[in-house]
Amino acid sequence: MNTDVTRREFLATVAAAQGAFVLGFWMPEKAHAQTQTLASTPPGAAWYEEPATPEVNAWIVVAPDDTVTIRIAQTELGQGVWTSNAMMVCEELQCDWTKVRPQYASANRDAREKAPAWTLAVPGNGATDARGGGVPTFGTRDRTGVAGIPDSLYRRMRTNAASSVKDGRYYLQLAGAEARERLLLAAAELWNVPVAELTAKNSIITHARSGRTVTYGHVAQRAAQTPHPHPETITIKPPDQWTLMGTEQKNLDVPLKVTGQTVYGIDVRVPGMKWAAVKACPVYGGDVKRFDFEAVRHMPGVRSAVPFPIPDPALTRGRIFSGGVAVIADSWYQAKTAIDRMPIEWTIPPEHAAVNTAMMRDALLTAIDQPGQVRVNQGDVDAGFAHAAKIVEATYSTPYLARARMEPGNATVLVTNDRVDIWIGDQSPQETRFSASKITGIPEQNVYVHLCHLGGGFGRNGNGPQAEHAIMIANAHRGTPIHMLWTREQDFIGTTYRAMGIARLKAGLDAEGWPIALDVRTCMQRDGFGPEASFDVTSRYHVPSYRYSSHTTRFHVPVGTRRGVGQAAHEFYRESFMDELARAAGKDPYLYRRELLARTNLPYKADMIKALDMAAEMSGWGTPLPRGTARAIALEERGAETDGLATISAMVHTVSVNRAGKVRLERVDVAHDTGFGLVNPLSVKKQIEGQIVWFYNDAMHQATTIADGHVVENNFDKFPLSRMGENPPEINIRFFPTGHWLMGMGHDRATSVQAAIGDAIYQITGKRFRDLPYGKHDLTWS
Amino acid sequence: MAFDLVVNGSVQRIEADPQTPLLWVIRDHVGLTGTKFSCGIGQCGACTVHVGGRAVRSCSIPAATAIGKPVVTIEGVSPDGTHPVQLAWKEFDTPQCGYCQSGMIMSALALLRERPHPTDADIDARVTNACRCGTYYRIRKAIHLAADLMGK
Repeated sequence: MNTDVTRREFLATVAAAQGAFVLGFWMPEKAHAQTQTLASTPPGAAWYEEPATPEVNAWIVVAPDDTVTIRIAQTELGQGVWTSNAMMVCEELQCDWTKVRPQYASANRDAREKAPAWTLAVPGNGATDARGGGVPTFGTRDRTGVAGIPDSLYRRMRTNAASSVKDGRYYLQLAGAEARERLLLAAAELWNVPVAELTAKNSIITHARSGRTVTYGHVAQRAAQTPHPHPETITIKPPDQWTLMGTEQKNLDVPLKVTGQTVYGIDVRVPGMKWAAVKACPVYGGDVKRFDFEAVRHMPGVRSAVPFPIPDPALTRGRIFSGGVAVIADSWYQAKTAIDRMPIEWTIPPEHAAVNTAMMRDALLTAIDQPGQVRVNQGDVDAGFAHAAKIVEATYSTPYLARARMEPGNATVLVTNDRVDIWIGDQSPQETRFSASKITGIPEQNVYVHLCHLGGGFGRNGNGPQAEHAIMIANAHRGTPIHMLWTREQDFIGTTYRAMGIARLKAGLDAEGWPIALDVRTCMQRDGFGPEASFDVTSRYHVPSYRYSSHTTRFHVPVGTRRGVGQAAHEFYRESFMDELARAAGKDPYLYRRELLARTNLPYKADMIKALDMAAEMSGWGTPLPRGTARAIALEERGAETDGLATISAMVHTVSVNRAGKVRLERVDVAHDTGFGLVNPLSVKKQIEGQIVWFYNDAMHQATTIADGHVVENNFDKFPLSRMGENPPEINIRFFPTGHWLMGMGHDRATSVQAAIGDAIYQITGKRFRDLPYGKHDLTWS
Repeated sequence: MAFDLVVNGSVQRIEADPQTPLLWVIRDHVGLTGTKFSCGIGQCGACTVHVGGRAVRSCSIPAATAIGKPVVTIEGVSPDGTHPVQLAWKEFDTPQCGYCQSGMIMSALALLRERPHPTDADIDARVTNACRCGTYYRIRKAIHLAADLMGK
C-alpha cells in the first residue's frame, strides 16, 4: 500500500506502474473471508449455491419437499433461456413444473469436474431427424471457453448465436432422463420391485401392481447413490411425444422482475465492498498518460485510484480496447463525482485519432472495388450483363451499431491470495474464469463466477472488457471486494460494435424482368461477424449466373457479435435489392420473390414460399390502403442454403409516412416456421416482437459514428431508443411446421423491417434511400 | 450531512450529501435496488420512482427535492407482486431482461392514477421509458388490463 508517495512521485510513476500500483490511503478495514461474503444470498439472486441435499446429477437437485432445482448453464438476458432450458429438463424428468426452481450452474465446478461420459455421445446429422439431437456444437478444445470446452462438466456455458435451445436441447433432455431413471431405480430399491414396473409422472413414482406411490423428494437422496442407469433407458423424446415442451409457459424469472427483487450484477452487495468508477481512453488503443489523484483524494468517500492497462487481447478475443483509471470510493456516486473532476491525460495513437466515419466509408468503398475474395461464381455473370435487357445497380450501407443494453457494464470482484470471486451478469463465464486466472495468477479451479441475470445482452456480455477491468482493479486491492460500475458513457466505450458495411449489387434483367445475372459485393471490417451471411453458397433467389465476392479493410474500432451480426445488414441489402428489381420489372414484390424462389432447387424452398404466402395472406396483401400507407414484404432465412438447420420466416410490414416525413410501423404480419417444434412458443413470440423493435431502431434511428477516433454517440440522447409511441399497435404472429430443426430465434428475426420500411418510403414518397438509418433522410412528400 | 426521506411509507435517516441524485440515495443509502441506473441523464426512465405522487426520473434530481414528499419505489407498489399493474404485467409475461420494467411499472402506475382508463395516445404520451428488449407491445396490453383490474 502506498500511503506516503508524494505527488511528484505519483505523476512520475503512473506510466511505469500500470495496473499494479494503487494511489491513495488504501487500508482494507479487514480481510473479508469469502465464506462470510457468500453467506448472505438475497432472495432474488440466481447464482449457484451448494445444494442442501445431494444432487441427483449435475443438473438436478430434488429437495425433500419436492422442490426441483434445475441448473442452467446459459444466462438469462431476456431471451427466456431460464425457462426453456428448465422445460427441456423437466420434460424428461417428469417432475411437477410448478415446483421447478432454476439456478445457474457453477462455472467453478465446470473447471473442476469433467462431463459425465453419458453426455458425450451426441447424435449428429439430426437436422432432418425428429428423433435426432440436431447438431449441437460444443466447439473446439479451446481452454479459454470462447466456444465452450468439450469435456468440462457443462461444456458450453456461453450464451450466443441464438443457440441455447439448439445446442442445449439434446443434452438437457438427456440430463432429465438420466435423473428420472435414477429416481426410478431408487424407488425400485426401496420397494424391492423391478424398475420396469414403475412409472413416473408429476414428481410421483407409482407401482401400479401394488398401488404404492412415492414422491421424488422422498427417494432423491437414495437416487443420488444409485449406479448410472442402463444406457438404453435414457433415450430422449421426439417432438411428437412432448407434453411440456411445445406449450406456452410463462417465464419463471418474470415474477421477480415485476417486484424489483431480481438481483442483476449492478445490485450485488457484499460486506466490506467499495465502489469503483472508471474512465477508459475514449479512443481504442489509447492509454493513460497521467492522472492527478491529489486533485480529488480529499473528496468525500474517496479511497484510492488505480490505473489499468489495455486488457490483454488474449483475454478479449484479440480486440484492442483502452487503458484507463479507476477511482475507488465508499459509494459509487462519490467515486463517479471524483473521477469526473480528476485531471486525466491520455496517450492516443495518432493514427487512431485521425479516423472519422467519412474516411472509413471511403476506405470501404475503395476496398469493395478491389477483386476481393470471390466466394461464389456460378454461370457467366459478365455474359449475362452483356445480354441483359436492363441493368439495375445499387449501393447500400449500414453504420456501426452499438448494442446499448440497458444495464451498464459492472462486476463485483474479490481477489484474495488463493481465490477469486466474481459476481457478474455474463454471457460467457468460462471466458471470464479464464481471464480472472490469467490476470491474478490464481488457478481457474479457484475462480468462482457467481452469475446474475443480465439487463440485456444482445451479444454484448461475452466480448470483454467489463470483467477484465473489474478483475484488474480488484487485483490491485486484494482482500477488499470492489464493485466496478461503468457510466452509460463508459459502456459505449467498453464495447464492441457491429461493423459498418457496404454492399454493391448489380443485376441484369431479361426482357420479362427476371434476373439473368447477379453480382454481389459486400465489404465489412476484418473480424466483423457474419461477413458472408445471406449471400454465401447460393443467391437464395434464382438467377442463372451469380457471383459473390466479400471484401474487407482494417479499422481500429473493435467489432463483435451484435444481435443479428452481419446477417442483419446483409438481409437488408438482399431484400432491398429484390424490391428494386421487382419495381424495375414492373412486378409485385411478393409474387416476384415467390417466383424466384420457386425456380430454385433449395431444400427448403417450399418453406420459404409458405412463409411468403402466409404473411401476404395475413396482411391482406393487395387490398387498398389509404394514401400515405404502404405494405412491403421480405423474407428472412438463416441456413436456407443447405439442408441442415434453418430458421425461416416472412413478414409484411404496413408502414405509414405522413407528409411531414414521420414514419410509423402500423402493423406487422409474421409467418414463422417452427421446425419440428418450438420449446416455448410464448418466448418465441416475445423474441419476434422484441426484434421488430430492435430492427425498427436499426432502420430508423441508430448509427454510431466516429470522430477523431472515438465513438460520438455515447448516451441515449445521441443513440436513440424508440418508445411506446413508435411501436406497431398490431403484431400478428402465425407459426407453421417444417421438417428440420430450427437454428435459433434470438438474433436474426425481423431483419425484414429494414428493407420493408425502405420500400414503403419509396412507394409513398417516390424516394429510395439505401443508407441506414432512414431517419437521417428527408422523408417529406407532397 | 443528514436528512430524512419518507420512502415507501417509512422514515429513513440518510447520511449523504442532499445534492446526491435521488437514485443513488435510494439504491445505496436506503438499500432498495429495484430502481435502476441506466443512462444517468434522465433519458431512459429506468430510474423512475414517484415523488409526491408524480413519476420522476430519479437519476437526475437531487435527493433534497424529495425531502418532505413521499417517495414510492417499485418495492412499495406491493410486497408480493399482487398489485393489479403487477398482475397484468405477469399475465402478459411482459418483461424480457426486465431491467427497465421497474421504471415502466412506476410510469404506468402514475398514468393510471391520473387517467384510470387511458387511451393508446395517453400511454404513448405518458409512458416514455425506453425498453431495449422491445416489450412495448405487451406493456400496452398490460396497461389496459391493469386499468380494467383497477376499475373493478
